[in-house]
Amino acid sequence: MRNTLAIARKELSIYFSKPWAYIVFMAMVGLSSFFFVASLQSFKQVQELARAFTWARLPPEYAMFKNLTDGVVVQLWGVVRIVTLFVAPFLAMRLFAEEKRQKTFELMMTLPVRPTELVLGKYLGGLGIISATLGLTILFPVTISIFGRSESGSALEWSTVLLGYGGLLLWGATCMAIGMFVSSLTESQMLAALLTFAILLPWMLLRGLGQTADEPVRSIINYLSFDAQLEDITKGVLNLKPLVFFGSVILFFVVLTQRSVEAQRWA
Amino acid sequence: MHMIEVNNLTKRYRDRVAIDHLNFSVEQGEILGFLGPNGAGKTTTMKILAGYLPASEGSAKVAGFDVFEKPMEVKRRIGYLPEVPPLYPEMTVTGYLKYVATLKGVPSGQIRGEVQRVGALTGTAQVMNRVIQNLSKGFRQRVGIAQALLNSPSVLILDEPTEGLDPTQRAEVRSLIRGLAGKHTVILSTHILPEVTMTCEKVLIIHQGKIVAFDQIKNLSQAYGGGEQVSLEEVFIKLTAA
Repeated sequence: MRNTLAIARKELSIYFSKPWAYIVFMAMVGLSSFFFVASLQSFKQVQELARAFTWARLPPEYAMFKNLTDGVVVQLWGVVRIVTLFVAPFLAMRLFAEEKRQKTFELMMTLPVRPTELVLGKYLGGLGIISATLGLTILFPVTISIFGRSESGSALEWSTVLLGYGGLLLWGATCMAIGMFVSSLTESQMLAALLTFAILLPWMLLRGLGQTADEPVRSIINYLSFDAQLEDITKGVLNLKPLVFFGSVILFFVVLTQRSVEAQRWA
Repeated sequence: MHMIEVNNLTKRYRDRVAIDHLNFSVEQGEILGFLGPNGAGKTTTMKILAGYLPASEGSAKVAGFDVFEKPMEVKRRIGYLPEVPPLYPEMTVTGYLKYVATLKGVPSGQIRGEVQRVGALTGTAQVMNRVIQNLSKGFRQRVGIAQALLNSPSVLILDEPTEGLDPTQRAEVRSLIRGLAGKHTVILSTHILPEVTMTCEKVLIIHQGKIVAFDQIKNLSQAYGGGEQVSLEEVFIKLTAA
């Protein structure tokens, strides 16, 4: 336990002493504020249209613009999810590959530290940095709740916002677990990042592939797709299915990483 | 008691045999010079002893524990300096040594004192607050040695500890290692032969993965000098000239 925490702390401090983390923070905030402003604008336009023609005469897909939660924040979480998919591989890539490249992996393997402690420490550090990255985006709903107004009290429906945010954290944790495993396979950080991306992206888009398949393949594909699993929770509907699903994916990849590190002893 | 015991230790990388049925033992408190031309298998042997690589055949025991069966027991008792000093370039020297001390199980209250102790021993006290990537090669090497000394392990495995040091620093490291004799068991590899004569009593010379000599330095120089004393260098050249 002491070892795990020491490793996690060191990982975090190394993240913050390199430019990578700040570039990722900038990309996250930059991209999501761009989409945030854009969706505020379309929200405003639709609201004006509705005022002129009443909601009943607008096309039904505009219904989400009735409130700020569905019209802006839920849309924003969708964007943050995609940005996470792109940045998480660059955060996870160094976890093991860097140690292998600079030969400190040899030190880690000859210190009295169990592979499990090492992997958990690294993963905790990774969770820390992805939470920090995602933590920045909570600024947007906070901004809305300060400046926004609604006819029915509070501008935002916080339970929906936070549930969606929880879904994002779950998704970030999943990306980091996969990235950490890939990183444990190679010395090259770039290769680790690209490979992680090559796993995450098709997995995310799996649902599109499933559309043309027959049952039961289609249901299976739908169940396995990250996108479909995240759909409900992003909209603020809490059920057990995505929790179990992402929990299992994370556990699976953490255990794989542990095996991959342990395998060094047998190489 | 044999502090290090190696039996028929063999390592193969696919078809290439790196080390071939090595047998030797090191007594407690002894300093063993581990010699051989480049590529003879020194680093491989040390990596196996430190528990980083598994052997293909045979066994190695440190303080009575098999390195493969009881890795944690062995790792608690060794300090290891790999060929390339294992440093995190972004960390400060203190930060790095504190981190390694924590992972070596030094109690939290004693970490600061332990870091100061190894800092004084290796002459790194003056660079404690600097970031490792800005240090000269000599300091990096010494931080690597400092790391191995943390928590006073009973066995030290040092792979070319004087590599990259200037003559003065080399002399310092030599006297540091000599000072460890008696309390610690040390295996030290190098290809600077006068160094060995000055620090070790006993040497192990391997060539193409096989032991070609394992004896006291004075016995070797007598045996290969034909009556008169010759330097270790001549013995080395004679033995590895295959």
